[in-house]
Amino acid sequence: MASSPRTGRSSTAIFAVGIGAVLLIGAAAVVLLSGGDPLGMSQRIVDSLYPPEAVTEQGARIRELYTIVFLIAVVIFFVVEGLIIWTVLRYRRRPGDDTLPAQTHGNNIAEVVWTVVPTLIVAFLFVVSWQTLNTVEAVSANPETRIRAVAGQFQWTFDYLDETGDNVLYTQLLPTGEDGGMAVPAGRTVLLSLESPDVIHAFYVPQFLFKRDVVPGRINTFEFTVNAKDAGQTFSGQCAELCGAGHRVMLFDVHALAPAEFDSWLAARIEEANATPPPTPSAEPGASGEPAPSGDTGQGPTLQVSALNIAFEQSELGAPADTPFKIEFENKDASVPHNVEIKDAGGASVFKGEIFNGVETRTYDVPALPAGTYTFTCTVHPNMTGTLTVN
Amino acid sequence: MATTALHPAAPTYRSTLYDWVTTTDHKKIGIMYVINSFLFFFLGGLLALGVRVELAQPGLQIVTDQTYNEVFTMHATFMIFLFVIPMLAGFGNYIVPLQIGAPDMAFPRINALSLWMLPLAGTLLILSFFTGGSAAAGWTSYSPLAQDRPLGAVGPGQDLWIVALTLIGTSSILGAVNFLATIFKMRAPGMTLFRMPIMVWTVLVTSVLVLMATPVITSALIMLFIDRNYGGSFFDPANGGDPILYQNVFWFYSHPAVYVMILPAMGMISEILPVFSRKPLFGYKAFVFATAGIGALGFSVWAHHMFTTGAVYLPFFSLMTFLIAVPTGVKMFNWIFTMWRGQLTFSTPLLYAVGFLSMFLIGGINGAFSASVPVDFAIHDTYWVVAHIHYVLFGGSVFGIMAGLFYWFPKMTGRMMNETLGKVQFVLMFIGFNLTFFPMHELGLAGMPRRIADYSSTAGWNDLNLAATVGGFLIAFSMLPLLWNIFISLRSGTPAGDDPWEANTLEWATSSPPPPYNFDRLPEIRSERPLFDARHGQQADH
Repeated sequence: MASSPRTGRSSTAIFAVGIGAVLLIGAAAVVLLSGGDPLGMSQRIVDSLYPPEAVTEQGARIRELYTIVFLIAVVIFFVVEGLIIWTVLRYRRRPGDDTLPAQTHGNNIAEVVWTVVPTLIVAFLFVVSWQTLNTVEAVSANPETRIRAVAGQFQWTFDYLDETGDNVLYTQLLPTGEDGGMAVPAGRTVLLSLESPDVIHAFYVPQFLFKRDVVPGRINTFEFTVNAKDAGQTFSGQCAELCGAGHRVMLFDVHALAPAEFDSWLAARIEEANATPPPTPSAEPGASGEPAPSGDTGQGPTLQVSALNIAFEQSELGAPADTPFKIEFENKDASVPHNVEIKDAGGASVFKGEIFNGVETRTYDVPALPAGTYTFTCTVHPNMTGTLTVN
Repeated sequence: MATTALHPAAPTYRSTLYDWVTTTDHKKIGIMYVINSFLFFFLGGLLALGVRVELAQPGLQIVTDQTYNEVFTMHATFMIFLFVIPMLAGFGNYIVPLQIGAPDMAFPRINALSLWMLPLAGTLLILSFFTGGSAAAGWTSYSPLAQDRPLGAVGPGQDLWIVALTLIGTSSILGAVNFLATIFKMRAPGMTLFRMPIMVWTVLVTSVLVLMATPVITSALIMLFIDRNYGGSFFDPANGGDPILYQNVFWFYSHPAVYVMILPAMGMISEILPVFSRKPLFGYKAFVFATAGIGALGFSVWAHHMFTTGAVYLPFFSLMTFLIAVPTGVKMFNWIFTMWRGQLTFSTPLLYAVGFLSMFLIGGINGAFSASVPVDFAIHDTYWVVAHIHYVLFGGSVFGIMAGLFYWFPKMTGRMMNETLGKVQFVLMFIGFNLTFFPMHELGLAGMPRRIADYSSTAGWNDLNLAATVGGFLIAFSMLPLLWNIFISLRSGTPAGDDPWEANTLEWATSSPPPPYNFDRLPEIRSERPLFDARHGQQADH
């Protein structure tokens, strides 16, 4: 029984052309990316399907596990995909061939084989995954360093805790950059606890091959040890759980320091924090709309700036040129660090106020600026911006 | 004796529009399901292009952060709840009564109700763009982000989303009851359970999943609504609620929902592969048990979406997730061995069915990475997961839907679709799909998280994102030959006749399109292939 919509070889040819086109485009893309280096090419393909080199002991275990899963996946992919392609090429209907193929309804042995073999494969994968999981999740009795990462909308702060884990020795308010970020001692065990005051975030460092959610109302902890050989490096991390409009700016840096360097760094920071007397409240916390208590020393004016819900409430400010002036900055976001930083038209920082947690008001002394248009921003939240006109 | 003329209860002539709007015919309802789903497919596709344009290069070019969150939230919402699920329900609506030899669904009016709740829900979702912004907390709408609070989900968009999803869920539940009653009570004489086409089996298992899982998410949504509007404290830790509880109930539905979105597509290609191979489905019973097995296991894997929360018993959910690969693998081999030693005719439906096999394979394999908990710690919430769901839901469901569209279009309309345009569309879509979603594996491994509107130009993600954007436009472009094909085929396609494909199942035993009552008479049903039997008599062994 011939039927009109069935065509023979031409459609097979189109199919083959389709597959060929995909392979060609893929190959061309790979050649382009590899710069025409055929030897490095295959290496690059494999590398691109691999997570980055792990910088923690735990990450290295995960990467070893990834290798096992990846190898099995590649074998299964080529066997089954090859079977599909071979079948569709081999068993095309020849034009005019009306004989009915053997009406095979199944084969119980085959069904048993392809039930049992995959079961064994996944059982193996489960067991090796579980073993790695136990290594990765292991917690030592006495972690050498305890840090608490607090993820809020939309910034990270890092509390360095004493050995009991109860007292904060030093709080790092700036999540990124040379002066900011989480410094950790390479080669030592770090117990990181995660807390959120608002919504769910996730602590994710790609080079750790690890992430853990930061869930409000719950304290998650995990341990990691940065390889001693990776001291001196900085790793980028960012929030991996959608947390609102500022999700993408929740970046942080992890600085791996040699243990001795870390100890002196932390000691210096603690000393610095103790030396600076706890900020004398320049206004009652929470008071809004209060006039500046002091600050008119006869110099420039005092600008009122306030921040609420991770945004400045002012978009335009004005100041006289070549005159030092003051900024009275009211941080209305409870437990959220802000500051005011002023950048010139070229993006270079000309003034950077101290970062502090809300709710609080502090007054910054800003040096004289030449006339021009500046932007003011929050160092912690680069998406908070406004314009400062100096003339 | 006076005679009284009886006035007809209704006018004898009605407009076509009135006829369609008031119909309770499962075929017209099925077609309207399909049309409605395609509309939201295109709308969701436009939003996806918005995402891809924004991510093509570093920097915020076309949207703000807030708008970006709205765009990907509504993309997923449209695609999942108003495209894939209703599209498959629509095909089920059209095909299932025909395949079991029934004149209609068991409850035709409830069937119409299920349909009409969908455009209503869709309208609410679209309206939310004009009421101060749509939902923007992701299609998962995790609490506390979805709570009414500063920097959370302020405004009516999130509430409209909750109401719309509750409507869609109710529509699904009604549809599932209807399918179950139809399949259990309205099969033609001789149509035993183990002679039912696989498509019917998959709709049966899907309906059980919907019936058991959807009420759970509906209650979660209502609790979230109470949290937001009446000061409930179910899921907000600020008031003593538990955000992890929300995730548990959400995924208790939303993981089975993945099977709701793939099982009927598997059913479709299980109809298509035997017809175009001229062989019966290899291992019919194994296939049925595998389908039921996926359905059952599907209820014990939900927390694999929560491996990184620190609030999950990891080994159990890891094991169950790995195990679900077994029945899926059984299906894969049964499909391949259906084609083995067959006589394959590469009409467009088979092309898409083979596309399904080769792409869904990747979606299965890259899913196994997430079942391995430590590996999931690395790839969770990165673009790897975006690659995975699209290999399953696009490479699987959409390719299956396209196969089904080309296969059943002749039955629905009486006209064949154009084969050349179909093949051109397939090639474009196949290339575009892989160009879009394969690079996302690499992006995810390199550490690019999901749901970010921008990324650093020094992160090394520029080229792969650009490739994905180009692929996305290729997919969009592949819709043009489809629309043109539908247009010209409706106008002047080759008349199909009753059974253009030499098919096996009962829908091809009636005219194309079938009359309102479906069948004048039915062939004898002595196997799962009554039409094959009628065509070949006892000459072939079965």
